[in-house]
Amino acid sequence: MVERAPVARSPIAPAPPTTIEYGWEISARSSDAELKITDCTPLAKVLVLAPMYGELARALGVPFGRAARDTHGTLVVGSGPGEWLLLAAPGTNQAVGKRVEVVQDEGLVSVFDATHGRALIRITGPRTPDLLAKVCAIDFADEVTPDGAAFRSSVAKLVTDVVRDDSGGARSYLLHCERSSGQYLFDALIDAGDEFGIEVDGFVDPGDRGV
Amino acid sequence: MSMRLDHRPGEVIDRQREFTFTWNGEEYPAYGGDTIISALAACGERIFSRSFKYHRPRGLLTASFLDPGCMVQVDDEPNVRGAHRRVEPGMVVSPQGVWPSLEYDVKSANGAFGRFLSAGFYYKTFIKPRRLWPVYRRMLRRFSAGGTVSASPAQDYFDKRYAHPDVLVAGGGPAGMAAAVAAARAGAQVLLVEEEYELGGYLRWGDEAELAALRALREEVASSPGIEVMPNSVVEGRYDDNWVAVMQRDLSHVEERLVKARAKTLVVAPGLIERPYVFEGNDTPGVILSTAARRLINLYAVKPGERAVVFSANESGDAAAEDLARSGVEVARVVDARRGGDIVRVKGGGKGVRAVECSDGAEIECDLLVTAVGWTAPTSLINMAGDRPVYNERAARFFSSHLPDDVLTCGGIAGDGTLEELIEHARATGGEAARRAAKTARRLRGGIPLESEAPPAEISELPLYEHPALFRGKTHGIVDYSEDVTSKDLVTAEKEGYDSIELVKRYTTVTMGPAQGKLESVNAVAIMAETTGRTIEETGTTVWRPPYSPVTLGALAGRIFEPVRYSPMQPWHEIRGAKPLVAGAWIRPDHYGDPASEVLNVRENVGIIDVTPLGKFDLRGPDVPKLLNHLYVNRWDNLEEGRVRYGVMCLEDGVVFDDGVTGRLGPEWYVMTTTSSGAAGVGEWIDNWLQTAHPGWRIHVTPVTTAYASINVAGPKSRELLLRLTEGVDLSPDAFPYMRVREGRVAGVEGCFMWRLGFTGELSYEVHVPAAYGLHVWETLMQRGADLGVGPFGVEAQRILRLEKGHFIVGQDTDGLTGPYDVGLGRMVKLDKDDFTGKPELAWQSEINGRLQLVGLQPHDGSLVPPEASQIVEGESEIVGRITSSRMSPTLGRSICLGFVAEHLTTPGTKVVVQLPGGERVPASVTPHHAHYDPEGTRQRG
Repeated sequence: MVERAPVARSPIAPAPPTTIEYGWEISARSSDAELKITDCTPLAKVLVLAPMYGELARALGVPFGRAARDTHGTLVVGSGPGEWLLLAAPGTNQAVGKRVEVVQDEGLVSVFDATHGRALIRITGPRTPDLLAKVCAIDFADEVTPDGAAFRSSVAKLVTDVVRDDSGGARSYLLHCERSSGQYLFDALIDAGDEFGIEVDGFVDPGDRGV
Repeated sequence: MSMRLDHRPGEVIDRQREFTFTWNGEEYPAYGGDTIISALAACGERIFSRSFKYHRPRGLLTASFLDPGCMVQVDDEPNVRGAHRRVEPGMVVSPQGVWPSLEYDVKSANGAFGRFLSAGFYYKTFIKPRRLWPVYRRMLRRFSAGGTVSASPAQDYFDKRYAHPDVLVAGGGPAGMAAAVAAARAGAQVLLVEEEYELGGYLRWGDEAELAALRALREEVASSPGIEVMPNSVVEGRYDDNWVAVMQRDLSHVEERLVKARAKTLVVAPGLIERPYVFEGNDTPGVILSTAARRLINLYAVKPGERAVVFSANESGDAAAEDLARSGVEVARVVDARRGGDIVRVKGGGKGVRAVECSDGAEIECDLLVTAVGWTAPTSLINMAGDRPVYNERAARFFSSHLPDDVLTCGGIAGDGTLEELIEHARATGGEAARRAAKTARRLRGGIPLESEAPPAEISELPLYEHPALFRGKTHGIVDYSEDVTSKDLVTAEKEGYDSIELVKRYTTVTMGPAQGKLESVNAVAIMAETTGRTIEETGTTVWRPPYSPVTLGALAGRIFEPVRYSPMQPWHEIRGAKPLVAGAWIRPDHYGDPASEVLNVRENVGIIDVTPLGKFDLRGPDVPKLLNHLYVNRWDNLEEGRVRYGVMCLEDGVVFDDGVTGRLGPEWYVMTTTSSGAAGVGEWIDNWLQTAHPGWRIHVTPVTTAYASINVAGPKSRELLLRLTEGVDLSPDAFPYMRVREGRVAGVEGCFMWRLGFTGELSYEVHVPAAYGLHVWETLMQRGADLGVGPFGVEAQRILRLEKGHFIVGQDTDGLTGPYDVGLGRMVKLDKDDFTGKPELAWQSEINGRLQLVGLQPHDGSLVPPEASQIVEGESEIVGRITSSRMSPTLGRSICLGFVAEHLTTPGTKVVVQLPGGERVPASVTPHHAHYDPEGTRQRG
């Protein structure tokens, strides 16, 4: 009935060369710059709403304002009071959702696949705090926002969730916003990072090491 | 004539980098590191501008950022501080506001009428007659000394940055550097802000010992981790909780950057500003301050003159005399104020100083007068921190009286002393600043200060040296060089009753020029004190407010962040040349070239429109019907699964707030849609009700506007098109009738849902697909529907289609007074429901008459489209309605309208009169329905 297999596309135009991986059109570019930006939108994003102090909250084990990986390598972000965003490898949306749904909780629990509703960007490098200082009023010092800190703030005048998620010892942040402004946020970060030599790096499935 | 000296130990010029620039139409040589004015002075130039009011020739005074006589135009940038801005190769520098030339400015004739241009001249002269104000304005603008703003829309790049230092040190002189180092060594993150291009303050133009101290301090700063140095930057203001605005200039890629710093402790170390002396002829080119002479000689290797008189009251004047002598200037006389010496007037003219008349009667021929009469403490920042500085007669300057805990001072603003004493005091201050910052940090993080935390540091008081109080000599002269305000003006103002310094400031404009009082404020206060017979302490000062120095509008604006939103199909729209429509933050396709054709294609074949911006909310939980009943005026607790219902939301005052459809997809799962522009407001509205009035309701609300790409497939062939792409949904009319919702697979994409609606008046399906597949589904629709004549249609075609169908748009056809009864939706309002938003008001509305009603309108001349907002009138001028929407209908071949009319005009067939914006009146008739096309709805239910 349908000739073509559906291709998922990020709201952020992939930097050439492009390729199709995990059912998504992504950039195949590779950069070894000190400051890199990557469109991570293909990652599975599962939004969980549940009582703040219920069984499910205990099972997720991450309080509001913090982020940590679970045993499956899924990054569990305490994104709001009684709200968690789970970030996992591309295509694992349903599996991640099912793992959550099996937890018995007396309160109302809702699990959404937010993969298509959010744009997700990772910036990595020692100058990331300097870049973010140009677009966000939060103090990015270690004492205030250490690795694992998660908060919602204005980034380039856009409501954005920010997660400090250092990678391999390098300072790294995940930023996600509603999908339609993904290109805007990406462009704003590129512009702010220009003076620090920011480069686009293609998306690679984090695989077993988690997102 | 070259005034360039041989090498100086502290010079900042790079003699290996020689280039030329243009001044006043001629080419001049310069070295790297030269300021515009130092390069010109090295070539013997002495006049750089004309004064604001009298157009008197002006030269160097301070040789610093504050120099009022050195404002120039650089390329298309006006009001550049020529004594601060470094000259660049090829730079084109011009004098400002002179005609025909800097040397012979005809407007200097004002000087001849100086006695008539006294205080308040403008207020007195240009107030009457009022009708001549435009003439006065044009004339005064011609006399303004400002530069020329470029008319080019091209803008330089500005941006902003946030900073969160533990300690912010304002001033990078010796005290500021020492404080910064001490704070950093105590573990603080320090931001050190310096107005000049290099750290060092007065040490930079000092002797060998001072230069050695400078090198040592700079080395300490460079080797101390935790100090960020911002040269060529200014702390513009201090606000509550040490919110400090810093204007950063020394950037290669950004014109200026506003740094918004939240400092836990602020250390104010701005040094001292040398004060000019008021006497006759004090603005003659060749009268300069001692620090200006020392800067010129020691930083830029420029000889300031050939034969000089030095009027000295302090060490700076003595050092200047020595510097002058060492650089080959003949020092004709040093007039020592400490021994009673004084100067009366300078004689000279447009070309500069010719002679100086001393108080002992001697008249000394010279081309340079150097004055060193005292210091002004720049108390702006401590003033902004709530301090009211007090005058100290012994030191003849102002000091702070009471500072908040998070503000400290060091250096000259705190007292006098040897360099060692000042540095020791600054180190103690820096350490204490770090201690206080750490305490604040613990408090901010919710920590309780420990008992064992370090005790406050001992900061010994600095001594205060005795200094002669010299402000005005025996003659009158210029007080405010920027505004051309004389001491005589101040005296006149006082005689006219302006006996408060704040009133005098506003009446005479003294201290209101680009120097913002840093050179002239204390002199003005002292002259007012002298005139009124009060002391300086009693006279007080004006209040210093931000900004510390003039700021460009570009820097304040910074980089403009304007978030925009795109649908997943935006790349397709752009490739097809869609005309973009800015709708809030959304960029939408208005049309693809011919909206009328797009309308006809929907009526005849099938069209698709990108409606992704429609607000969408996923609602889950057992109490969703309660929420819907609360928000909408109609009933929702009986909505069956698989059904969709239209609803109208009102505010508490019964005014229509938003509308849309909500579908029930599961037992406890609903999806609500709102208008595109109303999505954010409805989201806040829902949150507000759930969090304040009904926190116990078991509901989860998730905005999913952009989680789904939304495509409306409309037209008689829409079903046929979707049949080719859809799996898992029976599209037959019986299985999927009007106002129903179904889930299925579209173009191979799982997780889609679609509902049958009729906004266009045609058989249509609104398809919602996971957003990442939106482009895929759109392209597939276009590809698979080619033989059906499928085509895209934009917002304009949609607006025509809905107007043909008579659907109103919230915000277009309603306003801040419109209720549901006014737009024909009274039957929807279920007053028998339990309480819902707006119910009491709607109950009242249901019983009253006389409100305007929305009706369909048909102009008698079908070729005429009355502009929206045209008034409907009765008699001579009574307004009885207005046109809210109007278009030419491609389907009907005539104009169609919606509009509000008075209740007595609503009967179908009633003739009304529409007054067009130009005044012409045209007839129109009220139609039987809102819908002009297919009022029975046959097509959409097909």
